[in-house]
Amino acid sequence: MPVISRRRWQAPLALCLGVLAVLVVSAGLADALAQSPFGVRTPAPPPASAETGLVGWVLAQQAQFYRSLSGLIRAAKADGTAMWTLFGVSFVYGILHAAGPGHGKAVISSYLIANEETWRRGIVLSFASALLQALVAIAVVAVAAVALNATAATMTEAVRWIETASYALIVVIGVRLVLTKGRGFLRAVREQRAEAGADGGALVLAPALSGVPAGTGFLHAEPHRDGLARSHVHGSAIHAEPAAAEPHDHAHHDHAHHGHDHHHGSACACGHAHHNDHDHAHDHHHHDHDGCCSHGPAPAELAGPGGWSRGLAAIVAVGLRPCSGAILVLVFALSQGLFWAGVGSTLLMGLGTALTVSGIATLAVGAKGVASRLAGAKDGRGALMVRGLEVAAACAVVLFGLALLGGYMASERMI
Amino acid sequence: MTSCSTARLRGLLAVLVLAACTLLAPPARAHPHVWVVMKNALVVAPDGTVTGVRNAWTFDDMFSTYATQGIPSKTPGAFTRDDLKDLAEVNVTSLKEFDFFTYAKLDGKTASFTDPVDAWLEFHDSRLTLHFTLPLKTPVKARTIDLEVYDPTYFVDFSFAEETPFTLAGAPAACTVSVHKPDDAALTKKIQRMTEAQFAEEMSNVGELFGNKVMVRCP
Repeated sequence: MPVISRRRWQAPLALCLGVLAVLVVSAGLADALAQSPFGVRTPAPPPASAETGLVGWVLAQQAQFYRSLSGLIRAAKADGTAMWTLFGVSFVYGILHAAGPGHGKAVISSYLIANEETWRRGIVLSFASALLQALVAIAVVAVAAVALNATAATMTEAVRWIETASYALIVVIGVRLVLTKGRGFLRAVREQRAEAGADGGALVLAPALSGVPAGTGFLHAEPHRDGLARSHVHGSAIHAEPAAAEPHDHAHHDHAHHGHDHHHGSACACGHAHHNDHDHAHDHHHHDHDGCCSHGPAPAELAGPGGWSRGLAAIVAVGLRPCSGAILVLVFALSQGLFWAGVGSTLLMGLGTALTVSGIATLAVGAKGVASRLAGAKDGRGALMVRGLEVAAACAVVLFGLALLGGYMASERMI
Repeated sequence: MTSCSTARLRGLLAVLVLAACTLLAPPARAHPHVWVVMKNALVVAPDGTVTGVRNAWTFDDMFSTYATQGIPSKTPGAFTRDDLKDLAEVNVTSLKEFDFFTYAKLDGKTASFTDPVDAWLEFHDSRLTLHFTLPLKTPVKARTIDLEVYDPTYFVDFSFAEETPFTLAGAPAACTVSVHKPDDAALTKKIQRMTEAQFAEEMSNVGELFGNKVMVRCP
C-alpha cells in the first residue's frame, strides 16, 4: 500500500510546516512589538506592566547565589558548618537556575504533552533527569579532573560531545513522536470525515478511513527493520495485534518509527491491559459508531513497563548534558581540596532543579488535562484538537532539539 | 458532535494558545557563569591615529580555577606567564568567534578588529588576567570613539574596574574619556518591569542591557 504509506509521511510533515508557519508569524509579531515605543530598546522606560518581573528577579537572584558559591566553598574549608550554608544556597540556586535556560523544561513539558503522560510520570521524569544531570557533572569532573588531571579544554570538549549526543537524542525522540502522533491526528481527521459521511446516511466508513474497499478491514504495509514489508490485516471484528494469534512476534522489532493503530470494528473489546507488555507507540482510536468502547486515551496504559523504558530515552536525552555551573563548582571545590563538598552542592542543585522542572511539567500536564476536558475526550472535534496539540508539542520537541543541535540557542553555552 | 458546543471549543482554543505560548517562548535565557573585570585602554599613535584597544580582563576565581585546571606548574596553584602561554592562545582564538565582545564605532562608523596581538595571561591571587591588544583593521584619526563591551547572550558578565577603568595611551591630552557602567539598581528595576514576553524577546541580546560604554572625545 505505497499510497497509504506516502500519505502517512506527507501529512505529519504538512502539519509540522503549519506549526512552523505559526511560529514564524508569532516571532514576526514579537519583533514588531519590540520595535514599538513600548519595546525596551527605547530610551524611555517601558510602561509598568501588570505582570510581575519574575524572570528578571530570578536572573538577578541566581547570579548572586551562584557568585556566593565560591566564597562558601572557601569558608567551608575553614569552618565545617559553612557547608550547610553552601548546601542550602546550592539548593536555592538549583530552584532558580532551572527557571532559567536549558534544563530541558521545555523539552520535558512538550514531551509530556505529546505523549499523553500523567503528572506523576512528569515528576519522575523531572527528578530522574535532574539526578542524571548532577551525576554526569560529577562523573565528568571525577574522571577528567580528579583521575586524569585533564585540562579545562579537555573537559569542555568532553562536555561538548555529551551535549551533542543529548541534543541529537532529543531530535530523535521528537521525530518519533511527530510520526506516531501525526499519524494519530490524521486518522482522527479521517474519522471525523467518516463520521460526517455517516451522518449523511452513507455507509462509506471503511473506504474513507483507509482507502480500501469496505469489508477487507484496515490494511497497512509497514517497512520493518529487517527490510521485509509485512502487512497487517486487521479484521473488521477484532484487532488481531498483538494477540497470541499474531503470526509474528512484535517484541523483536523496532517499533520506534511506526505506530500501530488499532481500529476497532463493531464488535471490539474494551480491555487493553495486554498492551502493557510492549513498547509500541500505540495510538488507540476507538470508533464509537456502534456505541462501543467509548473512552478516551488512557494514560495509565502508557505507564506500563514498556512506557517506562520509553521514558528512559527522554530522561537520558534531557539529563545527559551537565550544566556549566555544576562543573565550575566541582572543579573549584576540587582545587580547594573539598571535592565532596562540590559533590554535595551539585546534588542539591539537582534537587532544586528537579523541583522547578516538576512544577512546570505538572503545569503542562494539567493544562493539557484542562484542554482535554474542555474539548471532551469523546467528542470527535475536541479529540481532534487534543491530538493536534500533541502533534504541535511533538514538533516543538524536534524544533528544540534542532535549535540546540544547531547552536542557535546559546542558552547553556559551555565555556 | 452534538455535545460539542462552540463555546467549549472556543475555551479549548484559548487554552491551546496559552499552552503554545508558554511552551514556544524562546528558552534562550542565560545568566552569567563568568565574570570579567576590565581595565582597558585606547591605543593612539603619536600622530593621533587610533590603532586599537588594549585590554586587561580579570576573571572571577571560579572560572580562573576551571581554566587553569590540569595545567602543569612548578608550584601548585601558582602559574607563571610561561605556564599559561598555551591557554592565552586558546583564549584569544576562541574570543574571535564572539568578536571579542568589543563593539567599536569611530566617528559613528562601525569598526572591526583584526586578530589580537600581545596576548598573555597573568595569575595572581587565584585570578587570571588576560592581556591582549585588539588592532583596528583600518587605523583612523577619529574625533569620537565609542566602545561597548558586552556578551549578547550574557554568559559572561563584563564590568569595568573601579579604578582606572579606561585610559588613553598616547592620545592627545585634550581628549576626554567617560565610562558608563550599567547602573545595577536602575537595571534591576528595568528588568523587573519587563514582561515575560518582552524579556524573552530581548533575551537574544540581553547582554546589551549590561553593556559597558566608553566614549572618547577628541577635539
